[in-house]
Amino acid sequence: MRKIYEELARKREQIKAMGGEKAVAGQKKAGKWTARERIEYFFDSGTFTEIGMFVKHRITAFGMADKDVPAEGVVVGYGKVNGRMVMAAAEDYTAMAGTFGEYHGKKFAQAIDMAKEMGIPFVGMNDSGGARLQEGMDTLEAYAWLFRSQNLASGIIPQIALLMGPCLGGQAYHPVMQDFVFQCRKTGFMGIAGPAFVKTQLGIDIDLETLCGIEAHAVKSGCTHVVVEDDRDCLDKTKELLAFLPQNNGEKPARIDTGDAAGRPVPELDGLVPEHSLMPYDMHEIIHRIVDSGYFFEIMPDFAKNVIIGFARFSGRVTGVVASQPNWMGGVIDCNAADKVARFVRFCDLFNIPLVNIHDTPAFMIGPFEEWKGILRHGAKMLYAYIDATVPKVTVIIRKSFAGAYLGMCCKDTGADMVFAWPEATVTIVGAETAASVIFAKEIKSAGNPEEVKAKRIQEYRDLYENPYRAAERGYIDEVIMPHETRQRICAALDLLENKSVARPWRKYSNINL
Amino acid sequence: MNVTAPMVGKLVSLSVEVGGRVRKNDVVATVESMKMYVRIYAPADGAVKEIKAAPGDLVNPESVLMVLE
Repeated sequence: MRKIYEELARKREQIKAMGGEKAVAGQKKAGKWTARERIEYFFDSGTFTEIGMFVKHRITAFGMADKDVPAEGVVVGYGKVNGRMVMAAAEDYTAMAGTFGEYHGKKFAQAIDMAKEMGIPFVGMNDSGGARLQEGMDTLEAYAWLFRSQNLASGIIPQIALLMGPCLGGQAYHPVMQDFVFQCRKTGFMGIAGPAFVKTQLGIDIDLETLCGIEAHAVKSGCTHVVVEDDRDCLDKTKELLAFLPQNNGEKPARIDTGDAAGRPVPELDGLVPEHSLMPYDMHEIIHRIVDSGYFFEIMPDFAKNVIIGFARFSGRVTGVVASQPNWMGGVIDCNAADKVARFVRFCDLFNIPLVNIHDTPAFMIGPFEEWKGILRHGAKMLYAYIDATVPKVTVIIRKSFAGAYLGMCCKDTGADMVFAWPEATVTIVGAETAASVIFAKEIKSAGNPEEVKAKRIQEYRDLYENPYRAAERGYIDEVIMPHETRQRICAALDLLENKSVARPWRKYSNINL
Repeated sequence: MNVTAPMVGKLVSLSVEVGGRVRKNDVVATVESMKMYVRIYAPADGAVKEIKAAPGDLVNPESVLMVLE
């Protein structure tokens, strides 16, 4: 063999050994796979091609001149996942702790640029000790390359962040600005600053897990979309999510044969909703029964649980599902719930994924706590998201649908192409008690028997308006259906809407209440 | 650990007593708010150390309904 070939083989060998035996052993001890093991497991066997293996930093200060950082601490390349091309960048914690320097950043950003141009999803596997401080300004500007690349690719290709190790400091804006964030239960951490910085700047003692772990982001902050057990689970679930997504915004998601007939009636839905209008129930009971094979990939299940979002299929067609959850806060829409729904609706719209909106919600939350948090500007995001969205939208009103919540959950004129309502539906401006107490205030006050008059008037209002028929008479509800017909109607509506096309005048974008 | 109401409302009922054990996500109380019965769930496994609200009380996100240990 020629010497130059041997040299190449030796160089490759050296880089593939990553940070060396000791560092690799440390990675395993921490319960993590190495970057190369993750890549190996993620891509279909034998399809991965690495690029930029020999890229090297150019810093000489602080002893960096002789410092070899294999692959610059990030393995980049492309290959097939579920038979379709995907671009990935996997940070290597064994190589100088996967620190983010100028060329580490350049590899990352170029991978996203390439994925955007090729129209393929990008998956980033985050496991980094943070900024490589030895590189000073070069590191700082490289963050901008990354953010710029990913933001310019946003809405063109799906981008998924996998928090498999730490991702702290400004770097944490990278995962958060991708479309979906997966976080490993024991090893994934994300934060604007880690515990040491919080201690020195604020004097607060807090451990990494409490500050930046899954409870922090999947429950409290709403930054994490899916919590996974470990590296294997993380990569499996990522593949599962990718199967729902198109390669880019010019495609529709792949339709598959799920073997579940579009015409399947669901008799268990008749009588499922409690007759007592104040009684809650679990909306998952409805979702699981109507989607293909009961398969629902829920997003953000632990944040703002009063709404449910996720992906499912109806007669093999990928669909984004948005639903109220009466079992949590009565299904009321608060600030967090509105944010959760709005961003999901916009993602689905960007990637040609039809929406099915199922609701049973009394209202947007009122009162000082939510008012002062800004329920108006947060709730507005839902209105903007649905009205802006041009993908097929089908709405099903299960029971309560009052006031702003009727509009916010995608009624006919906030964007629904087809609206169905169950016979249990109560669709009107406000509940009977509220309406009667306003309309008949004088009459009730001056009556000799105010309670009797009040009850009579409430009942009159209820009989007239608390049903689906007034809205159906005006055509705001297309059809009042039996609950067991729900799946059939949704599937048929999505068939009708398959080639829906909307033309609107040019504008840069709407001024959504961010 | 404190159990608080997620929203403003009127406490309708308590489903536990002092000394009783609860598992995470058990319903421990019901609040009426926004024309709905809102279930309050135990945030963790534990025993009910103290109950700090009674049916009929107006509660809000800052109200401690009970304390678990």
